[in-house]
Amino acid sequence: MSYELRPHTADVAVAATGTDLGETFAAVADGLAAAMCDRIPETGERFSFTVRAEGLEALLFDYLDQLIYERDVRGVLPVDNEATVREAGEEWVIEASARGIPLGDVSARDVKAVTYSEMRIEEAAAGWEAYVVLDV
Amino acid sequence: MTTREFDGIQLERVREFVWEIPKEGDMRVPARVLASEALLEEIGEDKTLQQLKNATQLPGITGHAICMPDGHQGYGFPVGGVGATDTENGCISPGSVGYDINCGVRMMKTNLTYADVQGREAELVDALFANIPSGLGGGGVVESDIDTVEAVLNRGVDWALEEGWAVEADLTHCEDEGVRPDADPSAVSQKAKDRGKNQLGSLGSGNHFLEVQRVTDVYRDDVAGAYGLEPDQIVVLIHCGSRGLGHQTCTDYLRKIEKRHGDLLAQLPDKELAAAPAGSELAEEYYGAMCACINFAWVNRQLIMHRVRQVFERVFDRSWESMDMHLLYDVAHNIAKKEHHTVEGEERELYVHRKGATRAFPAGHPEVPSAYRDVGQPIIIPGSMGAGSYVLRGGEASMELTFGSTAHGAGRLMSRTQAKQEFWGETVQDELREQNQVYVKAQSGATVAEEAPGVYKDVDEVVRVSDALGIGDKVARTYPVCNIKG
Repeated sequence: MSYELRPHTADVAVAATGTDLGETFAAVADGLAAAMCDRIPETGERFSFTVRAEGLEALLFDYLDQLIYERDVRGVLPVDNEATVREAGEEWVIEASARGIPLGDVSARDVKAVTYSEMRIEEAAAGWEAYVVLDV
Repeated sequence: MTTREFDGIQLERVREFVWEIPKEGDMRVPARVLASEALLEEIGEDKTLQQLKNATQLPGITGHAICMPDGHQGYGFPVGGVGATDTENGCISPGSVGYDINCGVRMMKTNLTYADVQGREAELVDALFANIPSGLGGGGVVESDIDTVEAVLNRGVDWALEEGWAVEADLTHCEDEGVRPDADPSAVSQKAKDRGKNQLGSLGSGNHFLEVQRVTDVYRDDVAGAYGLEPDQIVVLIHCGSRGLGHQTCTDYLRKIEKRHGDLLAQLPDKELAAAPAGSELAEEYYGAMCACINFAWVNRQLIMHRVRQVFERVFDRSWESMDMHLLYDVAHNIAKKEHHTVEGEERELYVHRKGATRAFPAGHPEVPSAYRDVGQPIIIPGSMGAGSYVLRGGEASMELTFGSTAHGAGRLMSRTQAKQEFWGETVQDELREQNQVYVKAQSGATVAEEAPGVYKDVDEVVRVSDALGIGDKVARTYPVCNIKG
């Protein structure tokens, strides 16, 4: 899995790849962390959460939104993201975990929100690719 | 007829600084770009024009979708965009307000001159940085709980007045006197309130900042006199919004609209334009929630401003009242408001969406505070750390051309990723101090690089166009002395 920060006039975009959807979504989440912080220390405890949504794009949107919420409420920067994605009946489910670095341990800046703008989730030869614009 | 084309989008020159994308295909109205040739070249470089064209498809959009001179690509609606939709047959669009509801700017005056501050800039910037929360996780000026958040959402700056964080004059010099009566705190989610609880009275990061500035130029003596501005005077500019609470509220309503009004969304070319039909339950809920977020943002800036007064008291060893530290005005530049405008001779109530655009009501308009009604509403246009900012006043042509709006800043030119490759935060800080006598202090060096003066458009050119069109007239220019950011 890997991610890359891509230019956007006002904001920041993340392009990510993974062998499956879970890896790809987690790579986007690592990109979200990279958009906020350049140096990631080894501190922090892991936490887990589950998100459900009606479609794949909605799931990626809600997953990243939940990470931003956890960041503000727990006061941590979520890094080293891991996730599995599955379809369950009419909805999609992501079971995710992250290591939450206390914000006092990092020099981080805000990402305000995830956006649907230009969002893409596509199956590729070696797995999946995703592209998300973040509002900074 | 002079025409220009960018990526297959053709613009016709209507007159100097006014360009039109004619109505075609699914566009409900034509689009307009207010720009000089030089600014239009920059606007044409990214997806601003396509996003503006997309915005013309919003149901009930009236007149034109308009791009201000500082416009640039955003998500959904472009930044620097103005779109007025009918409150009966149109829609309200959270994505056309933006995530940072009531992101805005306020300016506080002082009776200090630049000479009073020279030699003490380092002390002042350190004191401000130590006392004004910024960046991620820095908390807020006040420690608040959910009850406090509810009161702030409901009562706006009235709450701050009761708690000793404001004086009466702060309310009379703020748009709507610092309180949106349509606020509905119950329409703001628990998640949003949880995020806002730890951030009441904080700058955040990105392009938000607090700056001590000096007035360098006055262009209209009579208006500057009415605003209480004169050359060499020290003023304080505060640029921030509704923090996580507002961001979460926009996110929540985008998702609600997606689930409940998928049929309308399917007709729009970009999901970020998500709109609730006028008169629907969600339109009313969003409007109430947005107005509550507007209140939160006003209190946020009020708390920061009052804390600045306390910092100045300590640094200059005088009371803030003796330094005449009074609010000039507070403007919102991410907002939608129900307003009455005359369209083709008929008065109509419209939701005026201003996303990266500032209200610019002219002299005589009843919604301009009485203190400024004779000269027009103050407009504050923040510039970059190296280029200075402007105070304008609402121009006579704004009601006809822009639903009473003008630009909101310099507008970005360069991406944040590219800025970090081209600039190094510490170098930018050193150069600004040594060459421009501007003292900058930030939580993150990367933020300084991302906000380096070179990443912005020419604010002088943006203001020149606003002034020439008569939508926002130049009153004064200010230049940074100290700048803090997240």
